[in-house]
Amino acid sequence: MIRPIVLWPDPVLSKVADPVGPVTDEIRNLAQDMLETMYDAPGRGLAAPQVGVSKRLFVMDTAWKDGPAHPRIVIDPVILERSDAEETMEEGCLSIPGVLAPISRPTEITLQWQDETGAILTERLTGFDAVCAQHELDHLDGIVTFDRLPDDVRADLEKVYSA
Amino acid sequence: MSPRPFLRWPDKRLSQRAEPISAVTDETRALWDDMIETMDAMPGYGLAAPQIGEMVQLAVVDVTEERGKAICLANPEILSQSDETSDFDEASPNLPGLSAKVTRPARVRVRFLDRSGTETVKDFEGLWATSVQHQIDHLNGRMYFANLSKLKRDRLMKRWAKLEKSL
Repeated sequence: MIRPIVLWPDPVLSKVADPVGPVTDEIRNLAQDMLETMYDAPGRGLAAPQVGVSKRLFVMDTAWKDGPAHPRIVIDPVILERSDAEETMEEGCLSIPGVLAPISRPTEITLQWQDETGAILTERLTGFDAVCAQHELDHLDGIVTFDRLPDDVRADLEKVYSA
Repeated sequence: MSPRPFLRWPDKRLSQRAEPISAVTDETRALWDDMIETMDAMPGYGLAAPQIGEMVQLAVVDVTEERGKAICLANPEILSQSDETSDFDEASPNLPGLSAKVTRPARVRVRFLDRSGTETVKDFEGLWATSVQHQIDHLNGRMYFANLSKLKRDRLMKRWAKLEKSL
């Protein structure tokens, strides 16, 4: 089921989300809905707060338009390691439609999470995968792209958004 | 009657020429009504049938703030245009989040079939002229950015590629 996407400045986007813990059918259903919502949007990643659920999970599939689908369900993620090297990319957010925000982030991270079966996975993410995972993890911490911008850039982009 | 979903760029239908209609029927008027509702829901200044996947030469324009002044056009054709131009920041619900300044003739004379199927010739100016030309472009498979320089068009498409990877 496609769920409505919550738009900034909805307060749920500024809240630190609660850990999921043991994966239940309810969580698996939510994750499936989130994937469906992400593909429909269309987008490459979607965090639970973006559909109004303040829980620590997100879904991502960074290459589905350019190749075969590779959906990931990421529950209770933790970044174990970040590269020193950073790169700036213009990030679009489904909750802030039409805005591209230039954000600098580590180019590589090691991410640990549990999947929909409760299995613990660890993976080194690079390129757009790394950008996407960090963007989604920000959502779980109540952080949107605007919050990572210098005040003047933020003010300009907020003006574009509200226009 | 209800607002219709928009095709999303680069859906091929947005680059195809729409078919002229042979006569204005109740079916035509029903589609126009859906298009007006869809335009007003945005709200927008106009809508061409291919934007919602209907490959027929039908358009609506209404640039008023209060709405309810929509002009319905079938098989529209520009008969003449002014040398004087005007600029407007154009956008499309088929590529939400993008816009670009487009220069077009400030006034155009358009021949079309109206809601009763009567052949009509009407002069458009100001925003009306901009919108009607934007819609006629759609009916010919042209998006507003086809009128931009390659450099500006490329920049716009790059921005679109990034927006398509929203997170």
